[in-house]
Amino acid sequence: MDDFEKQLKDALTKKDPSPFFEARVLGAVKRQALEHRASSRMWWASAFAAVLLVITGSAWQHERTIREEAAGKDAKARLELALKITSVKLQRISRKVEGI
Amino acid sequence: MKFAIPVMLAVLPLAAQEIKMPVSLDRLAAKASEVVDVSLDGALLQLASRFLSEKDPDEAHVKRLVGGLKGVYVKSFEFEDRDQYKESDVEELRTQLKAPGWARIVSSRSKRNGDNADIYLKTDAGQISGLAIIVTDPRELTIVNIVGSIRPEDIRDLGGHFGIPKIDINPGKNDKKDKEDNR
Repeated sequence: MDDFEKQLKDALTKKDPSPFFEARVLGAVKRQALEHRASSRMWWASAFAAVLLVITGSAWQHERTIREEAAGKDAKARLELALKITSVKLQRISRKVEGI
Repeated sequence: MKFAIPVMLAVLPLAAQEIKMPVSLDRLAAKASEVVDVSLDGALLQLASRFLSEKDPDEAHVKRLVGGLKGVYVKSFEFEDRDQYKESDVEELRTQLKAPGWARIVSSRSKRNGDNADIYLKTDAGQISGLAIIVTDPRELTIVNIVGSIRPEDIRDLGGHFGIPKIDINPGKNDKKDKEDNR
Protein backbone atom coordinates (compact mmCIF):
# COMPACT_ATOMS: atom_id res chain seq x y z
CA MET A 1 0.00 0.00 0.00
CA ASP A 2 1.58 3.23 -1.10
CA ASP A 3 1.19 6.63 0.51
CA PHE A 4 -1.64 7.71 -1.73
CA GLU A 5 -3.76 4.67 -0.92
CA LYS A 6 -3.11 5.22 2.79
CA GLN A 7 -4.21 8.81 2.60
CA LEU A 8 -7.32 7.84 0.65
CA LYS A 9 -8.23 5.16 3.19
CA ASP A 10 -7.79 7.64 6.04
CA ALA A 11 -9.96 10.17 4.28
CA LEU A 12 -12.73 7.68 3.65
CA THR A 13 -12.73 6.23 7.13
CA LYS A 14 -15.99 7.01 8.95
CA LYS A 15 -15.40 9.43 11.80
CA ASP A 16 -17.81 10.26 14.57
CA PRO A 17 -18.78 13.93 14.75
CA SER A 18 -17.39 16.00 17.56
CA PRO A 19 -19.63 16.34 20.65
CA PHE A 20 -22.55 18.87 20.27
CA PHE A 21 -22.03 18.99 16.48
CA GLU A 22 -25.74 18.58 15.84
CA ALA A 23 -26.63 21.26 18.38
CA ARG A 24 -24.09 23.62 16.81
CA VAL A 25 -25.47 23.03 13.30
CA LEU A 26 -29.08 23.47 14.45
CA GLY A 27 -28.07 26.61 16.40
CA ALA A 28 -26.37 28.04 13.35
CA VAL A 29 -29.43 27.35 11.18
CA LYS A 30 -31.75 28.91 13.78
CA ARG A 31 -29.44 31.93 14.10
CA GLN A 32 -29.41 32.38 10.34
CA ALA A 33 -33.22 32.18 10.22
CA LEU A 34 -33.48 34.79 13.01
CA GLU A 35 -31.00 37.08 11.28
CA HIS A 36 -32.90 36.75 8.01
CA ARG A 37 -36.20 37.53 9.75
CA ALA A 38 -34.66 40.55 11.52
CA SER A 39 -33.18 41.92 8.30
CA SER A 40 -36.51 41.36 6.55
CA ARG A 41 -38.27 43.31 9.35
CA MET A 42 -35.66 46.03 9.08
CA TRP A 43 -36.28 46.26 5.33
CA TRP A 44 -40.03 46.58 5.79
CA ALA A 45 -39.56 49.15 8.55
CA SER A 46 -37.24 51.19 6.28
CA ALA A 47 -39.68 50.94 3.39
CA PHE A 48 -42.57 51.98 5.65
CA ALA A 49 -40.53 54.90 7.03
CA ALA A 50 -39.64 55.99 3.49
CA VAL A 51 -43.28 55.86 2.36
CA LEU A 52 -44.34 57.73 5.51
CA LEU A 53 -41.65 60.34 4.85
CA VAL A 54 -42.81 60.81 1.25
CA ILE A 55 -46.48 61.11 2.33
CA THR A 56 -45.65 63.54 5.17
CA GLY A 57 -43.38 65.56 2.86
CA SER A 58 -46.04 65.75 0.15
CA ALA A 59 -48.71 66.77 2.68
CA TRP A 60 -46.40 69.44 4.12
CA GLN A 61 -45.54 70.72 0.63
CA HIS A 62 -49.25 70.79 -0.29
CA GLU A 63 -50.11 72.63 2.93
CA ARG A 64 -47.27 75.08 2.30
CA THR A 65 -48.44 75.71 -1.27
CA ILE A 66 -51.99 76.37 -0.04
CA ARG A 67 -50.74 78.76 2.68
CA GLU A 68 -48.41 80.53 0.22
CA GLU A 69 -51.23 80.85 -2.32
CA ALA A 70 -53.55 82.33 0.30
CA ALA A 71 -50.85 84.78 1.42
CA GLY A 72 -50.09 85.68 -2.21
CA LYS A 73 -53.74 86.31 -3.06
CA ASP A 74 -54.12 88.40 0.09
CA ALA A 75 -51.02 90.44 -0.81
CA LYS A 76 -52.35 90.88 -4.36
CA ALA A 77 -55.72 92.10 -3.04
CA ARG A 78 -53.97 94.56 -0.72
CA LEU A 79 -51.77 95.75 -3.57
CA GLU A 80 -54.85 96.30 -5.74
CA LEU A 81 -56.48 98.30 -2.95
CA ALA A 82 -53.35 100.41 -2.40
CA LEU A 83 -52.98 101.11 -6.13
CA LYS A 84 -56.67 101.90 -6.43
CA ILE A 85 -56.55 104.47 -3.62
CA THR A 86 -53.31 105.97 -4.95
CA SER A 87 -54.52 106.11 -8.55
CA VAL A 88 -57.85 107.71 -7.61
CA LYS A 89 -56.10 110.32 -5.45
CA LEU A 90 -53.59 111.10 -8.20
CA GLN A 91 -56.34 111.36 -10.80
CA ARG A 92 -58.29 113.77 -8.56
CA ILE A 93 -55.17 115.87 -7.96
CA SER A 94 -54.49 115.90 -11.72
CA ARG A 95 -58.05 116.93 -12.38
CA LYS A 96 -57.79 119.72 -9.84
CA VAL A 97 -54.40 120.95 -11.08
CA GLU A 98 -55.37 120.77 -14.75
CA GLY A 99 -58.65 122.49 -13.98
CA ILE A 100 -56.91 125.56 -12.57
CA MET B 1 -20.95 97.08 20.10
CA LYS B 2 -23.46 94.48 21.30
CA PHE B 3 -26.22 97.03 20.76
CA ALA B 4 -25.20 97.64 17.16
CA ILE B 5 -27.13 94.73 15.66
CA PRO B 6 -30.46 95.40 17.46
CA VAL B 7 -30.17 99.09 16.54
CA MET B 8 -29.47 98.20 12.91
CA LEU B 9 -32.41 95.78 12.87
CA ALA B 10 -34.67 98.46 14.33
CA VAL B 11 -33.54 101.04 11.79
CA LEU B 12 -33.71 98.77 8.73
CA PRO B 13 -37.52 98.72 8.37
CA LEU B 14 -37.56 102.50 8.71
CA ALA B 15 -34.93 102.83 6.02
CA ALA B 16 -37.00 100.59 3.76
CA GLN B 17 -40.19 102.54 4.45
CA GLU B 18 -38.32 105.82 3.99
CA ILE B 19 -40.92 107.83 5.87
CA LYS B 20 -42.22 106.84 9.27
CA MET B 21 -45.96 106.99 9.77
CA PRO B 22 -46.67 109.06 12.90
CA VAL B 23 -47.93 107.05 15.87
CA SER B 24 -50.74 109.57 16.34
CA LEU B 25 -52.31 108.27 13.10
CA ASP B 26 -53.05 104.93 14.73
CA ARG B 27 -55.22 106.70 17.31
CA LEU B 28 -57.33 108.16 14.48
CA ALA B 29 -58.54 104.70 13.54
CA ALA B 30 -60.86 104.71 16.55
CA LYS B 31 -62.55 107.93 15.38
CA ALA B 32 -62.73 107.00 11.69
CA SER B 33 -65.75 105.46 10.03
CA GLU B 34 -63.55 103.80 7.41
CA VAL B 35 -59.93 102.84 7.72
CA VAL B 36 -57.60 101.41 5.11
CA ASP B 37 -54.17 100.39 6.25
CA VAL B 38 -52.03 98.67 3.65
CA SER B 39 -48.44 97.83 4.37
CA LEU B 40 -46.56 95.83 1.77
CA ASP B 41 -42.80 95.47 2.07
CA GLY B 42 -40.51 94.18 -0.66
CA ALA B 43 -41.08 90.51 0.17
CA LEU B 44 -44.88 90.86 0.15
CA LEU B 45 -44.74 92.83 -3.10
CA GLN B 46 -42.73 90.02 -4.68
CA LEU B 47 -45.24 87.50 -3.40
CA ALA B 48 -48.17 89.55 -4.74
CA SER B 49 -46.34 89.95 -8.04
CA ARG B 50 -46.15 86.16 -8.43
CA PHE B 51 -49.94 86.09 -8.49
CA LEU B 52 -50.22 88.74 -11.21
CA SER B 53 -50.79 87.08 -14.54
CA GLU B 54 -48.50 87.76 -17.48
CA LYS B 55 -51.34 86.89 -19.84
CA ASP B 56 -53.70 89.59 -18.60
CA PRO B 57 -52.43 92.90 -20.08
CA ASP B 58 -53.53 94.96 -17.04
CA GLU B 59 -51.97 92.59 -14.56
CA ALA B 60 -48.81 92.27 -16.67
CA HIS B 61 -48.50 96.08 -16.64
CA VAL B 62 -48.92 96.21 -12.87
CA LYS B 63 -46.42 93.36 -12.52
CA ARG B 64 -43.80 95.40 -14.39
CA LEU B 65 -44.65 98.43 -12.29
CA VAL B 66 -44.34 96.51 -9.03
CA GLY B 67 -41.02 95.04 -10.16
CA GLY B 68 -39.29 98.33 -9.37
CA LEU B 69 -40.89 98.80 -5.96
CA LYS B 70 -39.57 98.06 -2.49
CA GLY B 71 -42.61 99.02 -0.46
CA VAL B 72 -46.17 100.30 -0.67
CA TYR B 73 -47.72 101.86 2.42
CA VAL B 74 -51.19 103.42 2.45
CA LYS B 75 -53.16 104.78 5.37
CA SER B 76 -56.57 106.25 4.71
CA PHE B 77 -59.15 107.46 7.21
CA GLU B 78 -62.66 108.65 6.48
CA PHE B 79 -64.67 110.36 9.21
CA GLU B 80 -68.40 110.88 9.71
CA ASP B 81 -67.78 114.25 11.35
CA ARG B 82 -65.54 117.10 10.30
CA ASP B 83 -62.17 117.96 11.86
CA GLN B 84 -61.53 114.70 13.65
CA TYR B 85 -57.80 115.00 13.18
CA LYS B 86 -55.36 117.82 13.82
CA GLU B 87 -52.91 119.35 11.40
CA SER B 88 -50.21 118.35 13.91
CA ASP B 89 -51.02 114.68 13.12
CA VAL B 90 -49.78 115.29 9.58
CA GLU B 91 -47.12 117.84 10.41
CA GLU B 92 -44.67 115.19 11.62
CA LEU B 93 -44.99 113.59 8.21
CA ARG B 94 -44.49 116.84 6.32
CA THR B 95 -41.35 117.48 8.39
CA GLN B 96 -39.92 114.13 7.29
CA LEU B 97 -40.67 115.07 3.69
CA LYS B 98 -38.53 118.18 4.01
CA ALA B 99 -35.45 115.95 4.29
CA PRO B 100 -32.84 116.08 1.52
CA GLY B 101 -33.83 114.08 -1.53
CA TRP B 102 -37.54 114.80 -1.14
CA ALA B 103 -39.20 117.50 -3.21
CA ARG B 104 -42.82 118.61 -3.29
CA ILE B 105 -43.84 118.53 -6.94
CA VAL B 106 -47.54 119.32 -6.57
CA SER B 107 -49.39 121.22 -3.90
CA SER B 108 -53.08 121.92 -4.14
CA ARG B 109 -55.03 123.99 -1.60
CA SER B 110 -58.73 124.80 -1.54
CA LYS B 111 -59.97 127.37 0.97
CA ARG B 112 -63.51 126.83 -0.22
CA ASN B 113 -63.89 123.17 0.77
CA GLY B 114 -60.62 122.53 2.66
CA ASP B 115 -59.31 119.97 0.18
CA ASN B 116 -55.54 119.87 0.26
CA ALA B 117 -53.18 117.61 -1.59
CA ASP B 118 -49.42 117.32 -1.85
CA ILE B 119 -47.29 115.05 -3.97
CA TYR B 120 -43.67 114.52 -3.05
CA LEU B 121 -40.97 112.74 -5.01
CA LYS B 122 -37.72 111.36 -3.69
CA THR B 123 -34.77 111.23 -6.01
CA ASP B 124 -31.40 109.57 -5.62
CA ALA B 125 -28.71 110.38 -8.16
CA GLY B 126 -31.33 111.67 -10.58
CA GLN B 127 -33.49 108.56 -10.28
CA ILE B 128 -36.92 108.53 -8.65
CA SER B 129 -36.73 106.38 -5.53
CA GLY B 130 -39.94 107.24 -3.73
CA LEU B 131 -43.34 108.84 -3.88
CA ALA B 132 -45.44 110.27 -1.10
CA ILE B 133 -48.95 111.68 -1.29
CA ILE B 134 -50.82 113.48 1.46
CA VAL B 135 -54.48 114.22 0.85
CA THR B 136 -56.46 115.99 3.52
CA ASP B 137 -59.97 117.32 3.68
CA PRO B 138 -62.22 117.93 6.69
CA ARG B 139 -63.55 114.38 6.56
CA GLU B 140 -60.62 112.49 5.13
CA LEU B 141 -56.94 111.89 5.58
CA THR B 142 -54.96 109.75 3.16
CA ILE B 143 -51.25 109.13 3.19
CA VAL B 144 -49.45 107.11 0.55
CA ASN B 145 -45.80 106.19 0.56
CA ILE B 146 -44.36 104.17 -2.28
CA VAL B 147 -40.71 103.19 -2.05
CA GLY B 148 -38.89 102.44 -5.27
CA SER B 149 -38.70 103.51 -8.84
CA ILE B 150 -42.12 104.88 -9.73
CA ARG B 151 -43.55 107.92 -11.51
CA PRO B 152 -46.87 109.36 -10.28
CA GLU B 153 -48.32 109.19 -13.78
CA ASP B 154 -47.59 105.45 -13.92
CA ILE B 155 -50.07 104.90 -11.11
CA ARG B 156 -52.46 107.65 -12.15
CA ASP B 157 -52.75 106.07 -15.59
CA LEU B 158 -53.87 102.79 -14.06
CA GLY B 159 -57.32 104.43 -13.94
CA GLY B 160 -59.68 102.43 -16.11
CA HIS B 161 -57.55 99.29 -15.74
CA PHE B 162 -57.03 96.65 -13.09
CA GLY B 163 -60.42 97.42 -11.53
CA ILE B 164 -59.38 101.01 -10.80
CA PRO B 165 -61.97 103.65 -11.68
CA LYS B 166 -61.00 106.25 -14.27
CA ILE B 167 -61.71 109.82 -13.36
CA ASP B 168 -61.97 112.29 -16.21
CA ILE B 169 -59.00 114.58 -15.73
CA ASN B 170 -60.35 117.09 -18.20
CA PRO B 171 -63.06 118.71 -16.08
CA GLY B 172 -63.77 121.43 -18.64
CA LYS B 173 -65.08 118.92 -21.16
CA ASN B 174 -66.98 117.09 -18.45
CA ASP B 175 -68.61 120.24 -17.08
CA LYS B 176 -69.70 121.23 -20.61
CA LYS B 177 -71.12 117.76 -21.17
CA ASP B 178 -72.90 117.86 -17.81
CA LYS B 179 -74.44 121.24 -18.68
CA GLU B 180 -75.58 119.88 -22.04
CA ASP B 181 -77.01 116.80 -20.38
CA ASN B 182 -78.96 118.95 -17.91
CA ARG B 183 -80.62 120.98 -20.65
